[in-house]
Amino acid sequence: MTATKLLGDLLRERGVSRRAFLKYASYVTSLMALPPSAAAAMADGLAKAHRQAVIWLSFQECTGCTESLTRSFSPTLEELIFDFISLDYHETLQAASGEAAEAARHASMRENKGKYIVVVDGSVPTADGGVYSVIAGRTNLDVLAETVADAAAVIAVGTCASFGGLPAAKPNPTGAVPVSELVRGKPLINIPGCPPMPQAMAGTIAQILAFGKLPELDALNRPRAFFGETIHDRCYRRPFYERGMFAKSFDDRGARDGWCLYELGCKGPVTYNACASLKWNGGVSFPIQSGHGCIGCSEPRFWDRGGLYRPLSAGTTDAGRVIAIAAAAGVALGAGSAALARRRSAATRALDETRTKQE
Amino acid sequence: MELLDFARGPALAFAGAVFVFGTLWRLTAVLLLPRLRDLSPARADARAPWQSALRTVFVRMWPRKEFLPMTAFATANSYVFHLGLAILVFGLAPHILFIRGFSGLAWPSLPSNLVFAVGVVTLVSLLAALARRLTHPVLRLISHGGDYLSWLLTALPVATGLLATGHLGARYETLLAVHLLSVAAFLIWFPFGKLMHAVLFAFSRGATGIRFGHRGVSV
Amino acid sequence: MGALTGSFPGATPTDVAAAVLSEVADRLERLAADPGASETIDLHGLPLTDAERDQLRQRLGQGEVDARLEIVGPTRITETAYAGVWWLRHADDDDRPVLEHIVVARVPALLLAHADDIADAARRLRAELDARGAPGDPA
Repeated sequence: MTATKLLGDLLRERGVSRRAFLKYASYVTSLMALPPSAAAAMADGLAKAHRQAVIWLSFQECTGCTESLTRSFSPTLEELIFDFISLDYHETLQAASGEAAEAARHASMRENKGKYIVVVDGSVPTADGGVYSVIAGRTNLDVLAETVADAAAVIAVGTCASFGGLPAAKPNPTGAVPVSELVRGKPLINIPGCPPMPQAMAGTIAQILAFGKLPELDALNRPRAFFGETIHDRCYRRPFYERGMFAKSFDDRGARDGWCLYELGCKGPVTYNACASLKWNGGVSFPIQSGHGCIGCSEPRFWDRGGLYRPLSAGTTDAGRVIAIAAAAGVALGAGSAALARRRSAATRALDETRTKQE
Repeated sequence: MELLDFARGPALAFAGAVFVFGTLWRLTAVLLLPRLRDLSPARADARAPWQSALRTVFVRMWPRKEFLPMTAFATANSYVFHLGLAILVFGLAPHILFIRGFSGLAWPSLPSNLVFAVGVVTLVSLLAALARRLTHPVLRLISHGGDYLSWLLTALPVATGLLATGHLGARYETLLAVHLLSVAAFLIWFPFGKLMHAVLFAFSRGATGIRFGHRGVSV
Repeated sequence: MGALTGSFPGATPTDVAAAVLSEVADRLERLAADPGASETIDLHGLPLTDAERDQLRQRLGQGEVDARLEIVGPTRITETAYAGVWWLRHADDDDRPVLEHIVVARVPALLLAHADDIADAARRLRAELDARGAPGDPA
């Protein structure tokens, strides 16, 4: 429920001063590569905002997005986001269950009509009327449609909600689709990743709250602050890539010396995310630093891109059979045209001989 | 990203199939053509046919000294871009991975910066060849669309490859997709134009060599 | 934050630090001319290893002010040997660095008490004094 109090006053009662707002805003503006001068404006914006009602819908998901958000590091600072929002419905985190939980969701939708934000994780199955994911007797399709009707904005977190993710990978038996295909006429943000970076989720919500508008989005509706650069652009192993020093197998000499993982299938050059700069688990590391190539988990259809270990420059279709057939066909056609030529040549020679005989 | 998936997947597979189909078609057809058998006996000091053939293939890699002044530019420039293309295709690590992807063969790669430099030189050399073709009166007279297309489809992979490696001009996934598509276009056109010389040159030189050797002409 | 393993072959590590110092010098000159022209340099976004950041910090040295703040985790603000140049380090509860800034200002904004906090504190103190019996008040 949205308190009538402003966040600044509300949090002061809990001992969180305006200084804390400034520290938090400095942190978020730094994450989003905004200039440090934006921190004061963000702190002000946050303090003057009302507690934001958020309804979190979970569909065909693994709960990794929630894990990522709640396990984010510097807990006291990051956890402030849970003070800024009122998480009125979240199946994993809420205390209520069953009918009481559904009632809370409906109450929030009623009281915050037109002002609440819907966060969705997981894709939505559409095959066979959507029966493959049903909660409280209702399909995800229904719940989504009902909940976003009066929402102010929709945030699809995780690659499943943003692009279909794992459920939508071949052969997609449940007809899983991303949220963007089902939501029309509402501002929509995609924060993909498998899971998404916690700073991306929290920072985007904080920015919406502070400035009252959506952050700058790219063509796939991802916040440019976190998805504007590729992993490759900020990878510390880039000098090795430039020089062509590639690890050939896991744990070989090159791998142990920290060489580029291009040959081991790294999709860094075509993956947009902030892993290489913000890193995971409190800035400790990220996949490439730990010796494994980027799997491209914040991009659409990354599961169906020819294999996690197939290098970007290799073809993805197993064309062996097609090539064999093409080869056979080529030889056949060649032999056939040669046979035709021979027959023509023989006919001409026969004609010549006949004429010579006649003469 | 969809363009890249298409380029890496169906586009290259189709292009590879057309390349194999077309090359084998033309090669088989040429090799199986009825041959004019020379019924005269060979010269006394003639080499075996296969020896003459092989010799000619290699001897003609350099012009006879009588023709050197006339062919100086073509010889030098062609060597530059042919060697350049070989270094590019077989020396760059991502290319070796591409070949390994369908053949299982791999070999050590060259430093990427070096290959990039060779790429620039190769592109300049190719542009020089085009300029020559456009300005030399005889060449311009006898050149037709297929020749220019062969030039374009050879130069595009080099140019797009440089852009992709240098991350210039567009997002990387677009640059890479365009590069792969340009290679696909090259492979599709290859068997049907003058680019087939890459395969046929050995046989045509060989045939000439056999004929010459049979008659005792020095090869 | 984010230890970089291994060095960059061919990169000169001190270039970035030198550039930062140069920027600080520019800003300090501007501050000298106009006391309101404060500026913050976010070290987080720069390609500096931990060692280089430490070196930079040592280069700037220690001044007269060393402030410890407890705001949702510890923050340390120290004036460097150059008046007007402050080193600001936010950390989380495990004292892992969350943010590091070089602030060129008369005083970093974070040290100032915020107007709203002051207004609230004034109300609180007055209410406590009026209520009497608050611990520590003279009877």
